[in-house]
Amino acid sequence: MLKGANTGTPATMRKVSWSVARLYRWMLLAPALFLAAFFVFPIIRVVLRSFSDPAWGLQNYERIMAGGPYLQVLLATIQTAATVTALCLLLAYPVAYVMSRLSGSLLQIAAACVIIPLWTSAVIRSYAWMVVFQRKGILNEALIGAGVLDDAIRFLPGSFAVHVGMVHIMLPFMILPLLANMRAIDRSLLRAAEIMGANPLVAFAKVYFPLSMPGVSAGVALVFMMSLGFFITPALLGGPQHLMAAVLIEQQANVILDWGLASSLATVLLVVTGAMYVVYMRLTGNATGNLKGAL
Amino acid sequence: MWGRALLAGLAGLILLYLILPMLVVVPLSFSGQSYLSFPPQSWSLKWYGTMADNPLWLEATINSLLIGIPTALISVAFGTLAALGIVRGNIPRAGLISAAMVAPMMMPHVILAIGLYPVMLELGLLRTHVAAIIGHSVIGIPLVFITVSAAVTGYNGALELAAMTMGANPWQTFWKVTFPMIRVGMLIGGILAFATSFDELMLSLFLTGAATRTLPRLIWEQLADYLTPTIAAVATLVFVFTLVLLAIVSLLQIRRGRAMAGQHG
Repeated sequence: MLKGANTGTPATMRKVSWSVARLYRWMLLAPALFLAAFFVFPIIRVVLRSFSDPAWGLQNYERIMAGGPYLQVLLATIQTAATVTALCLLLAYPVAYVMSRLSGSLLQIAAACVIIPLWTSAVIRSYAWMVVFQRKGILNEALIGAGVLDDAIRFLPGSFAVHVGMVHIMLPFMILPLLANMRAIDRSLLRAAEIMGANPLVAFAKVYFPLSMPGVSAGVALVFMMSLGFFITPALLGGPQHLMAAVLIEQQANVILDWGLASSLATVLLVVTGAMYVVYMRLTGNATGNLKGAL
Repeated sequence: MWGRALLAGLAGLILLYLILPMLVVVPLSFSGQSYLSFPPQSWSLKWYGTMADNPLWLEATINSLLIGIPTALISVAFGTLAALGIVRGNIPRAGLISAAMVAPMMMPHVILAIGLYPVMLELGLLRTHVAAIIGHSVIGIPLVFITVSAAVTGYNGALELAAMTMGANPWQTFWKVTFPMIRVGMLIGGILAFATSFDELMLSLFLTGAATRTLPRLIWEQLADYLTPTIAAVATLVFVFTLVLLAIVSLLQIRRGRAMAGQHG
């Protein structure tokens, strides 16, 4: 009955190990087929359609490259993603630095402030910013109340609101990799630098900051990549003044029904995001490890 | 010393910015006024009443559950199979294959949405729950893959080998050895997949119809027309619900952390 119970020799172990590994590999089949059918195949169709709708050729790409509004939106998307990434780094670095030195309940409160927004719906968060930024909203009332403004500013739709909303969504994705990195930095190195005569600022610039670079580059690549595909925030807060690629693609496909152009814009977005994904993987070395903290 | 206080104050302000939206939405949902003034001059529960009077909200919530729960189950099944296959299968270039498994989560949803639309149209599934379940599972599988991979990597594969050399068949080995080690990871991944589906908008915009629209899609449609505090009431309830899910996940993670520490100690 218990076949092989007495033959657990290294040779049997190896043989079982080999056949077990083969068994495990078969498990990949079902998810691989599912993702091939509903992830890879649809995307290949998008790419093909960009060259074939309404006729085979490069006409969709020529329309983008002609320098009209489409190219402008793509460039604005990259620019917005870059600005959002820079702002996130600027805000996340001090937060992660302070958090890396906290412990106990203060750390738990700070961590809750970072994690709870991650779990809050992006639609709901954009709605909240609409309440803040509207003509008779909190911000205008506060600025007028403080005597800074005489008359309400029109924030919506606008670039300022888009940036505030996008940075809000991406900030946790910058704080978490930085925090993971900073908690592993050996702080006695800083003390050593100070004992050797470096003032705290020099010690920070020459010792701490270079050691935090792996966290910085992982966070920057992740935030930039994810910012490229934003839809909800620019659609609700940006309007026609601040179009981004995903909003334009949705309009072209859902409203204007120009699927050829939508597919070619999506292909461009796919290539840029894919390139960033490769960079991100190179920087972090693995797909799963660095995101665990965010989940 | 001053520098340190300044830095802590700055970090506090940035953390406040992170929770500000909910500090606005929750009080607004109890407002007594019919416009979005903040802070509200008077308090009432009337927006929760308005929400309850509109059957669309309940309908959309049911749709979101009818899509989210099957999405979580499919994601757990396929994500777990993929994690076991890659980690225990000694796959060559496992890093590359893992990166491909996680890719659906990283890609802008709009690309997947315009890709799945014609596929679902041809399959005759467009505007059904099934279309949204399939679309959301594509994004949910990577989440389960990540949490279960972490669990599988966390213990020695020799345990399963030992069970099999002692005569357990693969089925017994899975239920007696593997499953107890990874079930928390599967549960956390499943909750994450559910929460992601519950919050997803883009795929729902393309794949659901008037009868199958999800809660985020209904909020989205209502936002365009009426910016009333009713949405704040809905948002507050959704927020409380996701907080409960987050609390469950945090408790599970703490327990798993203790279990792991116990093993090593």
